[in-house]
Amino acid sequence: MHMRSGESYRQSIRDGRALYLEGERVADPTEHPLIKPSVDWVAATYDRLAAGGRNWIFEPPRSQGELQAQMTFLLEADDTAASTAGCAMLRELADAPGVHGARLTSFLDRVRSEDLRVANAVLDAGEGVRIVRRSPEGVVISGAKRHVMGASIVHELLVVPSGKVPADQSERAVAAAVGVNAKGVRIVNVTTTPRAQDARHFPLSQVRSMPDCFVVFDEVFVPWERVFLDGDTEASGRFAEVLGVWERARAAAWMAEEAELVFGLAQTIVEMNGVPNASHILDKLSHMAVWATMCRAGWEAAIDNAVKTPSGTVLPSALHVYATLAYGRNHYNEMVGYLHDVSGALVLTCPSVADYDNEATHHYMEKYLRTMKGVTGWDRMKMFHLIRDMTADHYGGWAKVVQQSIGGGLHGQRMATLRLYPKEAAKAKARLFARVDERQPQRPPTTT
Amino acid sequence: MMTGEQYKASLRDGRRTYLDGERVTDPANHPRLKVAVERAARVYDSFYDPRPGAFNPVYIMPKSVEEYEERRALLRKGETDMTLGTTGVVLLALATSAPELGHLKPEYRERIYDYIEFVKANDLRCAEVVTDAKGHRKLRPNQQDDPDFYVHVVDRTSEGVYITGAKMHISGASLDHELVVLPTKAMRPGEEAYAIACAVPVNAPGVTIIDTTYAPYGDYDPRDYPVSGSRNCPEGFVVFDRVFVPYERVFLDGETSHAAVLAHSLGLWERAEGTLHAADDADRMVGLAALLAEANGTADQPHVKDRLAWLVVYATMCRAAAEAAMLHARKTEDGLLTPSPLYVSALKYYRSEMMAKVLDIVHDMGGSLIVNAPRWRDFDNPELHTALAKALGTEPLTAEERLQLFSYVRDTTADAYGGWSYVTGQLAGGGQHAQRLVAMRQYDLERAKDLARKVLKSAGRAEEGSAAGLV
Repeated sequence: MHMRSGESYRQSIRDGRALYLEGERVADPTEHPLIKPSVDWVAATYDRLAAGGRNWIFEPPRSQGELQAQMTFLLEADDTAASTAGCAMLRELADAPGVHGARLTSFLDRVRSEDLRVANAVLDAGEGVRIVRRSPEGVVISGAKRHVMGASIVHELLVVPSGKVPADQSERAVAAAVGVNAKGVRIVNVTTTPRAQDARHFPLSQVRSMPDCFVVFDEVFVPWERVFLDGDTEASGRFAEVLGVWERARAAAWMAEEAELVFGLAQTIVEMNGVPNASHILDKLSHMAVWATMCRAGWEAAIDNAVKTPSGTVLPSALHVYATLAYGRNHYNEMVGYLHDVSGALVLTCPSVADYDNEATHHYMEKYLRTMKGVTGWDRMKMFHLIRDMTADHYGGWAKVVQQSIGGGLHGQRMATLRLYPKEAAKAKARLFARVDERQPQRPPTTT
Repeated sequence: MMTGEQYKASLRDGRRTYLDGERVTDPANHPRLKVAVERAARVYDSFYDPRPGAFNPVYIMPKSVEEYEERRALLRKGETDMTLGTTGVVLLALATSAPELGHLKPEYRERIYDYIEFVKANDLRCAEVVTDAKGHRKLRPNQQDDPDFYVHVVDRTSEGVYITGAKMHISGASLDHELVVLPTKAMRPGEEAYAIACAVPVNAPGVTIIDTTYAPYGDYDPRDYPVSGSRNCPEGFVVFDRVFVPYERVFLDGETSHAAVLAHSLGLWERAEGTLHAADDADRMVGLAALLAEANGTADQPHVKDRLAWLVVYATMCRAAAEAAMLHARKTEDGLLTPSPLYVSALKYYRSEMMAKVLDIVHDMGGSLIVNAPRWRDFDNPELHTALAKALGTEPLTAEERLQLFSYVRDTTADAYGGWSYVTGQLAGGGQHAQRLVAMRQYDLERAKDLARKVLKSAGRAEEGSAAGLV
């Protein structure tokens, strides 16, 4: 397998792709100020993998320990590594009826051998994507997909139906791989990369922003060898199903991490403020500790209850993944509210690193942001900047809404949990405790 | 009265304001402040009356529900912004406290009323300057390893005092003319230097303001930021470095017993103003959720209706508490009307408790297009327009309407301004703990206990219950 370097990756995406950001055409994503940080993040993942170790993108987990190790890698790695890892799992569909398995396998082999990155285009914009024409050489597709993470900076777009397509709409039952620079593909980028000239005010989003793309397919030709589903509505839901498993798994693993981070920020700030033991602070911290523990427990239960596919890949338990998302996201805003409450408004109003550097204001910031011996103004400033960036600014708003939407939103996550919950076992327990199944006592005959 | 242009010129007074690491010499022409200045200037123009003796209704100190309503009605005739809002609130807080401070020293009361006349006559804008740096939160002001963690008097002459310290989160400070400095909390004997309330011009020597703002960065399309693009306001980190304050601008000077009076009054008025907006905001949230459901074609789904009903109950309770706060309004000794602190705090608390869920519902109704819909300039681009118009338009809304809706919801709930709004909604006028304390203090607990005692009496156990310490 060819291991690409970060630099080789950068070169490979300078291919004339039609990208737009705020109405302007992006000539070179590796140089555009709002996209370059994302390219650098992807390049860093390439370099990290090239340096050695297991490539979790293309080698699926075979045990529960490996599943956790893979997720630990994918949480650190950029979003395109995760979407490519999800795409690699589609190998499971190679023998599925209605799927062109040989083409799919061949595509996935190429992705692996050339060390490519794939963005999964699942969610429909408007009516989604459909086949408008077929020819001996291939199909022509048109339509649009939304929320395609990293579409503008990967090599391939994997277009799949967003769910099972109704039998009378077979032209929408299409799964295909499309090169990002294919004729007729236009990609609109929305990104949380900081617009500020000095990105130090945004410690998280300056390094963890990824273009969230709206992809338009305007009469795009796809040769047959890249078409994996062609009109089979029965098989049409399988692609999104497999991709969804990995998207939700990463989201649940992140839920556990994020809850601990939110708690850690709150605990650190209250200690910096000198009030870790105030009763109302303890009250909030205790809620956050329960939440963080339950999120971690949910994700660990997803690993503990993992299942093996016929090919030996270990999948996290869908029930526990959904439950972790439903519980964690349902309380997220409330917990972030506690974090803000214990942190105070400096979350919003703490001046920038540039002000800290400015000779005219440096002394005042250091003097008034510090609280006691051992807690410097710099320390507190950095904490406030992270809390703001992560929970109360451009990136925080985007991340909150997007994470909440994974798995169908709060309602969808709950309903999926209900669907998967072992209801029969619970009902049997209820009957047992109620002693419903004990023999009904014989009533004495009534006398008149 | 000042015109908008005169107001803009008045800010070029040598003030030491910094933003993003640089000194701002002319706020009206700074890329990230000019929108806020422009808005404040429009507010001036909207109230401008060239006749001698004319004044902005924000300077009216109402003495009855009728006067209060009349003041609101007059204010509604013009535009509004943060600087006008803080001016009204801080002056009302001073006026509310004047009688009590007058009992300490009659001149405090006189100085307060003179000051209100002064800002009224000169059409000035005032900032609420309350929250100190605080240092180690567990230690009293005079126990800190840096005595300047709370603003205090460091020197005095026969003409006035010198103050040092820093105040945080001062909304609009660098767009105002006056800083009304109040103690952040109750002080104790030994902390006399910290019991200082006074007014300081923004350009006074020794004042430095370091700003942050949620104003969008760079060259943005105002349609992408329908609220924050035109209605933003800087937050000041205000430093006082041996700032001289003449006695006529000192409203409290060393009387620790009364240090909290002003902050309590301010908190009350700040929350009271907030409650009026809270009711309208809640109704707007109901409307947004309903429109988003329509925009996404989910309005008829039972779970969507269920959650809309939840929002409707929330909005109705917000409205009810806001109305109750004025229905149970009280009067000060000088006849100034003040809303009921119990209902004001209860609403503030209730709203903050519910807000996380309110936003979750709105976001669930809208889905991720709220944050990742293409921006307006993409929509305008002829190479993209047709495809985007087709993909984004769904009956009964056009693509333009859906984009407007998503832009508004993102800007106000899931972007820089949304974050600012969520955090300040929770913290302005005191956090949840503070609201609970006020509610407990104001609630008629004895009456409640009397009602409970009746239960004991009806069971014939009043004596027994009392003896057991149950009542």
